[in-house]
Amino acid sequence: MEKLLRNKKAIALFLGPGLVLFTLVLFIPILQSIYYSFCDYNALTPPKWIGLQNYKELMKDETMGIALKNSMFFLIFSCVSQLVMGLVLAGLVTNIPKGRNLFKNVIYLPCVLSSAALGLLWMFIFSPKLGINQLLAKFGIQGPLWLMDTKGFIILPMWVVGFVSLWQYVGQSMMLYMAQISGIDKSLYEASYIDGCTKTQTFRHITLPLLKPMVGTAMSLNAIGSLKFFDLIYNMTEGGPNHKTEVLATHLYTQGFKYFKYGYASAIGVVLLVLCLVCTFVIQKLFKDDNL
Amino acid sequence: MKKQIAILMSAVLSASLLAGCGVSTDTGSGSAATDGAAAAATAAAADTATQTAATGDEEEIQFMFWDDLNATDDLISQGYAKVIDRFNQDYAGKYHVTPVTTNLEEYYTKLNALVASNQTPDVFIVSPGPNLDVYVDPGIAAPLDDYLNADGWKDTFSSDAVFAQQTYDGKIYAVPLNIAAACVFYNKDMFEKAGCDVPATWDDLIDDCKKLQDAGYTPITISAGTAWCLSMLAGYLCDREGVDLDKVQSGEESWNNDKTVAAGEKLLQLSQYFQPTAAGDTNDVATAAFYNEEAAILIQGSWAIAQMNGANPDIEDKCGVFQFPAIEGGNDPNRVIAKSDSLAMSSTTKNPDACIALMKYFTDDTAQKYTAEVGGKIPVTKVEYDASKAPAQLADVMNIFKNASSTFGFYNESLATTEAGSKFDDTMVSMYLGEYTPEQAFQTIEDWYADTNPGGVRTAK
Amino acid sequence: MNTKVETTSFYSGEKLGFHRKKREKKPKAKIHWTVGLVITYVFLVFMLVIYLAPLLWTFMVSFKTNAEIFTSPFTPPRILQLGNYIVAWTAGHLGSATLNSFAVSVITLALSMFLGATISFALGIMRWKGQTAVLTYFMMGMMIPVHCVLIPLFTRFAHMGLSNTLTGIIIPYLTFSLPTVIFIMTGFFKSLPHELIESACIDGANIYQIFWKIAVPLARTGFFVTGMMTFIANWNELLLAMVFISDDEKKTLPVALSKFVGPYNTNYSQMFAAIVLAIIPTIVVYCCFSNQIVDGLTAGAVKG
Repeated sequence: MEKLLRNKKAIALFLGPGLVLFTLVLFIPILQSIYYSFCDYNALTPPKWIGLQNYKELMKDETMGIALKNSMFFLIFSCVSQLVMGLVLAGLVTNIPKGRNLFKNVIYLPCVLSSAALGLLWMFIFSPKLGINQLLAKFGIQGPLWLMDTKGFIILPMWVVGFVSLWQYVGQSMMLYMAQISGIDKSLYEASYIDGCTKTQTFRHITLPLLKPMVGTAMSLNAIGSLKFFDLIYNMTEGGPNHKTEVLATHLYTQGFKYFKYGYASAIGVVLLVLCLVCTFVIQKLFKDDNL
Repeated sequence: MKKQIAILMSAVLSASLLAGCGVSTDTGSGSAATDGAAAAATAAAADTATQTAATGDEEEIQFMFWDDLNATDDLISQGYAKVIDRFNQDYAGKYHVTPVTTNLEEYYTKLNALVASNQTPDVFIVSPGPNLDVYVDPGIAAPLDDYLNADGWKDTFSSDAVFAQQTYDGKIYAVPLNIAAACVFYNKDMFEKAGCDVPATWDDLIDDCKKLQDAGYTPITISAGTAWCLSMLAGYLCDREGVDLDKVQSGEESWNNDKTVAAGEKLLQLSQYFQPTAAGDTNDVATAAFYNEEAAILIQGSWAIAQMNGANPDIEDKCGVFQFPAIEGGNDPNRVIAKSDSLAMSSTTKNPDACIALMKYFTDDTAQKYTAEVGGKIPVTKVEYDASKAPAQLADVMNIFKNASSTFGFYNESLATTEAGSKFDDTMVSMYLGEYTPEQAFQTIEDWYADTNPGGVRTAK
Repeated sequence: MNTKVETTSFYSGEKLGFHRKKREKKPKAKIHWTVGLVITYVFLVFMLVIYLAPLLWTFMVSFKTNAEIFTSPFTPPRILQLGNYIVAWTAGHLGSATLNSFAVSVITLALSMFLGATISFALGIMRWKGQTAVLTYFMMGMMIPVHCVLIPLFTRFAHMGLSNTLTGIIIPYLTFSLPTVIFIMTGFFKSLPHELIESACIDGANIYQIFWKIAVPLARTGFFVTGMMTFIANWNELLLAMVFISDDEKKTLPVALSKFVGPYNTNYSQMFAAIVLAIIPTIVVYCCFSNQIVDGLTAGAVKG
């Protein structure tokens, strides 16, 4: 058996095609883009080596600071909110006697739709002339400028986009947690009820600890997803007003494809890649998940 | 689940049917104007024609454009589709042009990717100013003077001035196709009811706004959600105050000077007459507020004419146009913001003759007549067109344009780089949102210029 | 191997549990309505509204004229503008776009399932040094934003004559889909009951037979999950398709949707009609597979 599973020829055959494809199509372009990050390059003329210049500029770049702050906000917000909402929804939906499939399916539905279309849709809903502010006005409430307000450390539009991303992706977390919950041995619960635990106590002392590895997996996916976050923010605010809602991926896009600073954009990309690697590493350590 | 969806869908359908709606299959995209059906028909015709494959004998060229030529309801884009159609028919067997289209959002991304892989499209549309600059500097766009001078082509243009924004170091790098002028559109009904006259000066404009407001109208609709709309107003104010762009850009003067600050203050003064939702409205929403007769004044480029008349045919008679008012003691009040669509030719094209032939089709009488009569934009050539066919507003725009002493570009297209243009736009929005005072706003731009020296324009210091 | 016994019981017990619950529930039709349960239901119905309202709004708006959208976005349409759908379908070339999207997504799906399965099998079941390193290498693909590699990728493909072909987008789609497939499937294979593989070994099966006859059928549910994710992601992808494809008849659905965004104004009513038309296949596919997905996620999640 051991020998069979260590069959070198089979391993090569299984891994080979994928590895070659991946290296050619993705890894070499990644290396290329790392090289561009050390160049003055606008994608139209040949790249010029300028060493660490782009990275030095990154340190001074005010918008980069905002983008980092917003990306970090997203990272934390989405990890926490997805965890909490995902667990709450999973807990509730598994414990209802009827309609489990309906709720599960509807909440999962936005995961399968295009972020770009949904972003546009929510942009409409939060626009002052068309959307919920008109509904609020009927009750005599003057709604805020959902997507244009710039007050505070984390500005309102970021919370709004955060809410929409939670709306769209919480189904996935919920599903993962539900799966784990329904896999927990029922006798554990019975025993705890006999011991006189309340439902909340059971949830805290039995369900949560058993969910830990799944939290790790879901969080890695969340963390990478939220650092790379682009579609929703691009379609809802385009990084505006005045770059206040810029995140790393939109900043990269604006610099590279609007201002033709491709080398600089590549440097942002490298920062993003490093952040993703660090995050994944930290989460894996934190949750000791052996799936990776 | 399937059942659930089916129930939901049928519930919605029956609910909306019960609510007593009729059914329409009008495909004129809501434009009940007589042009609507014709436009749809021509779009369909263009559809089949632009699809006709080349037979293989022709010299093939590519034309890259930022709007889909079949699905668009932009009348100017539909006109371009017709030009291509005509070209392919007339040159059948000799040249064939294939349009490559994206939407504006991804246009430069795709164009740059094509350039980077040596597949520059033979002819491509480009915004004048720093955007064209990007393609002129590395020699991607070819100089066109020789072709323009060759057989009197240049003489067909209304004046040499139309090439102003396309000229770099004395050479012309792109051919303008039409001109749109930024004007002030107003609702004649509302003006009459509020007892307003067409304002000639800034003070008149403020008076009118007051009267409109007292009469219960929203005086001005504008979009700060789409930054360039607000920035267009800021650009006008700066120019009327007499800001010298060359000097502030080169550092000879600071961006934070008396004139810019005065312009900023005027913008804020006018902003109290904006519609309450101005801060979040996008361009589409703000324009709709004008053509749906919810507001009296719209400051917009003349390309909006077709959109307004298409969405609400009643507006054509009610809509008047005036020139952006003068500021007493300020700059020449007859300067007009103008913007043109321009075509550039790839310097690596294998068929320059075909490219030039195509460009000539865009500027020939048929195309230019269409530009004025259907598209509602100002032609670039000396073509005679039937003013009665053109939208009612065009005559006013033409008048303003004819009386203009000179034109200048959008500020965001007149600054050193695209990034500098965005910086101006965004800062104006921030100022409007109350984040900066005018002084702070222009100081921010000054600091940014001093710091980054965009395009190497800061030579003075 | 230390979690072998647990894993097995989890796996089978879980599956049985699902069916058992369903069967058990039917006879006891009476629900004990406690206060907590009522609150739970109120909350969940509220969630349902938040989830469905925006989608229904899109559906409603797609029957309006542009002017109507801006004046009264929340009222039902005065006249059902079916014309929006006709224009969206014909002018947007939605027919051919749907076919292209379908072809691209299905081919990518098949290839990524196959390659993903082989790689994950090597990473999750077979034994060799450097497995973690290789998995991390593949996972880098999840971390790099597509904008970063767009230009190098396009230049490379243009040189190979692959730009403006459907093959030219299938290859990057496949490559970008693989990391997620591998991430999930490796976990899946790790959680498979090892007795089955052991007994197959004893019966004299070779490694390829184990892969094809034992591991792949057992991980069926995992393929549903990752397959769905891959399919959806590629079905919705815009940027690569926009940059790589120039010919109108080769454009995919998201590109076709963007046709209604003009340089100066957007034709919202037709765009929403096109969005509805584009969403329908996704919802149909989702409804057909939703139970498998739910079961698959459930099973896939219960690993190690």
